[in-house]
Amino acid sequence: MSRDIYVVRTVEEGELLVGRGQGCHPTSYSTRGTPATEGPNPGCQYPRQRDLSWRPRDAGGGLGLSNTMYARLGEIISLDCSIAVTLAAHQAIGLKGIILAGSEEQKARYLPKLASGEHVAAFCLTEPASGSDAASIRTRATLSEDKKHYVLNGSKVWITNGGLASVFTVFAKTEVVDSNGSVKDKVTAFIVERDFGGITSGKPEDKLGIRGSNTCEVHFENTRVPVENVLGEVGGGFKVAMNILNSGRFSMGSAVAGMLKKLIEMTAEYACTRKQFNRNLSEFGLIQEKFALMAQKAYVMESMAYLTAGMLDQPGFPDCSIEAAMVKVFSSEAAWQCVSEALQVLGGSGYMRDYPYERILRDSRILLIFEGTNEILRMYIALTGLQHAGRILTARVKQLKQGNVTTIMETVSQRVRDSLGRTVDLGLTGKLGAVHPSMEDSAHKLEQNVHDFSRTVETLLLRFGKTIVEEQLVLKRVANILINLYGMTAVLSRASRSIRVGLQNHDHEVLLANIFCTEAYYQNLFALSQLDKYSPENLDELIKKVSQQVLEKRAYVCAHPLDRTS
Amino acid sequence: MSWAQAILLARGLSRGWGGICSTALTGAPFSQVTPQAPRGLHCSTAAHQPDSPLVPRPPEPQRGLVKALAPHEELFRQAPDGVRDKASFVQAVQNFTQYNVHKRGHVDFIYLALRKMREYGVERDLAIYNLLLDIFPKEVFRPRNIFHSIFLHYPRQQECGIAVLEQMENHGVMPNKETEFLLTQIFGRKSYPMLKFVRMKLWFTRFKNINPFPVPRDLPQDPVDLARLALRHMEPDLSARVTVYQMPLSKDSTDATDPTEPHIIGIQSPDQQAALAHHDPAHPIFVEGPFSLWLRDKCVYYHILRADLLPPEEREVEEIPEEWNLYYPMQLDLAYGRSSWDDYEFNIDEVEEGPVFAICMAGAHDQATLAKWIQGLQETNPTLARIPVVFRLSASSGELLASSSGLEEPPLTPPEGREEEENNQQRQQQSQS
Repeated sequence: MSRDIYVVRTVEEGELLVGRGQGCHPTSYSTRGTPATEGPNPGCQYPRQRDLSWRPRDAGGGLGLSNTMYARLGEIISLDCSIAVTLAAHQAIGLKGIILAGSEEQKARYLPKLASGEHVAAFCLTEPASGSDAASIRTRATLSEDKKHYVLNGSKVWITNGGLASVFTVFAKTEVVDSNGSVKDKVTAFIVERDFGGITSGKPEDKLGIRGSNTCEVHFENTRVPVENVLGEVGGGFKVAMNILNSGRFSMGSAVAGMLKKLIEMTAEYACTRKQFNRNLSEFGLIQEKFALMAQKAYVMESMAYLTAGMLDQPGFPDCSIEAAMVKVFSSEAAWQCVSEALQVLGGSGYMRDYPYERILRDSRILLIFEGTNEILRMYIALTGLQHAGRILTARVKQLKQGNVTTIMETVSQRVRDSLGRTVDLGLTGKLGAVHPSMEDSAHKLEQNVHDFSRTVETLLLRFGKTIVEEQLVLKRVANILINLYGMTAVLSRASRSIRVGLQNHDHEVLLANIFCTEAYYQNLFALSQLDKYSPENLDELIKKVSQQVLEKRAYVCAHPLDRTS
Repeated sequence: MSWAQAILLARGLSRGWGGICSTALTGAPFSQVTPQAPRGLHCSTAAHQPDSPLVPRPPEPQRGLVKALAPHEELFRQAPDGVRDKASFVQAVQNFTQYNVHKRGHVDFIYLALRKMREYGVERDLAIYNLLLDIFPKEVFRPRNIFHSIFLHYPRQQECGIAVLEQMENHGVMPNKETEFLLTQIFGRKSYPMLKFVRMKLWFTRFKNINPFPVPRDLPQDPVDLARLALRHMEPDLSARVTVYQMPLSKDSTDATDPTEPHIIGIQSPDQQAALAHHDPAHPIFVEGPFSLWLRDKCVYYHILRADLLPPEEREVEEIPEEWNLYYPMQLDLAYGRSSWDDYEFNIDEVEEGPVFAICMAGAHDQATLAKWIQGLQETNPTLARIPVVFRLSASSGELLASSSGLEEPPLTPPEGREEEENNQQRQQQSQS
């Protein structure tokens, strides 16, 4: 790798120096943010740096990094969230479309300039009336008479880099003639350059956090896009969008982990020096709990992210979209929780703008929202998993519904055996097991959870079938269990490797692993018990009733505690 | 006593008794003082004149209906230029109390006053009820020994007290401490009126908020405002918009609405608008009505615009577009559906009805007014122009006219039979062009 040093400077942050290759450390990182300059446009300067993007393969002039290396770099860049978001919008979604679905000549035309940083890319999908609903986008691209251009009309909202970008990946509805002759409207992806004309960006939005990144509306008025700039095929924009969105998610795990590690350092420094009641803050149990939480979450996040990156780096094109979604959900929620706890350790000073905690808190709030809101991703995780399980179980379910005696007897005997409470052995521990004996208990817990989960999934599919799509409260629990299971797997495998290889502080890792596994085990048990039919822990009916009454009146309906009738 | 005197006494007594018996038989309230008490021998047997009228009695007008005047009714006779309101009611009551120190006939008077309260518009006024209770002489009806308390002491008065409280209950007036004090003074703590009072205090507070769809106590008098309130009351969707299509012409007399320009107010929610936009023009939609809606004591009439339910064959199955949600599959392609143990769709109480697209309230119930409503609806629902509208107005517009004036007109002669006219595109096109 010949590309060495990147100097990225924002007025907000002071200098951030990123060294070369893998062993990067930020050398100067001033914690002093200047509130006055933290405005919508703090003057982010992206100097004529080389290699603004490091994902494109060498043909495009990029670094050609693998997923793992990308995750590693993300760890460092994430120390400033605005920079991370801008870079991610540029290369994780902005030009990913060209890489994934572009033709050779499109790649040759656009990638070099984009990779070098001369041009910045943006991803234009969201409109005022359509967030996740792709079928309702209103931007239209009509073919001109000479069939050489598409005329693009519409407006997109909340586009990161909208003001800076010169290359946009725009999704618009086009008329497509089906194989049986019917004309339908389908989504198509286009590469649109700012030079095509008719593109205006609105003023930068005033956001809660990541105020260093540029987010604005982009309006297209009769923009002429040549036919060669269609990305993929006409009418295939949906798949392109899905692939782009599903591929960049996992790096959030390592990015957040990097930020959390830095945060632990800063907060621990404070906790060990500040004295109250003649004792350091670090001697109080509640403060210690917070640090344990931060360390544990950071560990799990890292493990999950690098496990997913490793899986993606396997030869072939493995589909790890569910794992990436799980990483994203876990890390975004853990980020919000941990940054809040870190701010809490500082108490009043954490609340002041002189310290970076409040900025980091505000920046981390967006993690739960962009790249697919956590609620949507939970649906995705659960439904994709259930689809997969459902296909496998179709044969059995059909037999059960028909009343095949042998299948029924099998199921009944299985249930009886389960209820007798025998331990499940899936081969994780033991002589040939992958998990080190010091984590035997946690591995048993994982096995038990997996087994119970498989039974529950069967029952759910039997109960609900296709209509499980509407049972979002059930799907949420399934997704939570899945995320916990994946976390347990990642953590156990990483800790085992640490011990066997002999990395430093591996016993600390074992501790973290065991803590997380135990917590996740009990959470999973509770979620599984809630998924039973008529279980007393399941409050779904009551919740739905309450929400229906509140939403009917669109207000809080209880009488005030001070109300009297006489 | 000679036998002549005895006969005269007997005759007088029998007349007295007969009077009492007759009043008892007719069920008129038994006043303590009969108008024809048996007199002593030395008085003339001529009918004793009732108390001289306290208010100078104007000459009796010739009336077609012969109604026996209740005693003391003249107190409530309206002075020719007077208006019936609280002050005059209070004046009438005070006249009674002032000039009738012994409060003879107070039970009758209280019953009469209770009947007259509605005319004077004071039926919801607690002070008036307290005033009426004040008419009772105090401390007289309180039981003083055990025999009084065993037997219903002064039953008619207790009944009268209960009647006052019952009228309070019917009009939803909550008694207060003054009422309690009065009742204690008049009837004592162990009496039936006091028992009723205690029950009122308990249950009224509990039942105050029992109506899940409360209607405000003071309804607006203006028909437009009343219609607005009624429409909002009927429509559960909070996003619905009330539109006034036509205001009544304001005239000097606020009562009558101009027959050529009655008010028309409609309500429609965005869901209803969307449903109307999707409605197939091959099926007609119907304007039905008038249906009545009672708000406390006011009855208003409304019409609805509805369509019939499509038969199952024609119902279009909502197509789930294939590429709909970018993030998760909206549809799982599994071969099996929900198990019947988890199927809660069938609900015996829910009957599926055809869609209702809008509701309106108008001053008149004829087709011309409702056609104006349809025209007004067309502005927000352009597809309505292509859909045939059938007016199915029911025969009797048996309206209860608001009896703000004392006299009630007999209802208008209803049109015979059901009107059913096709009001097709032609008319609408005509009205549009």
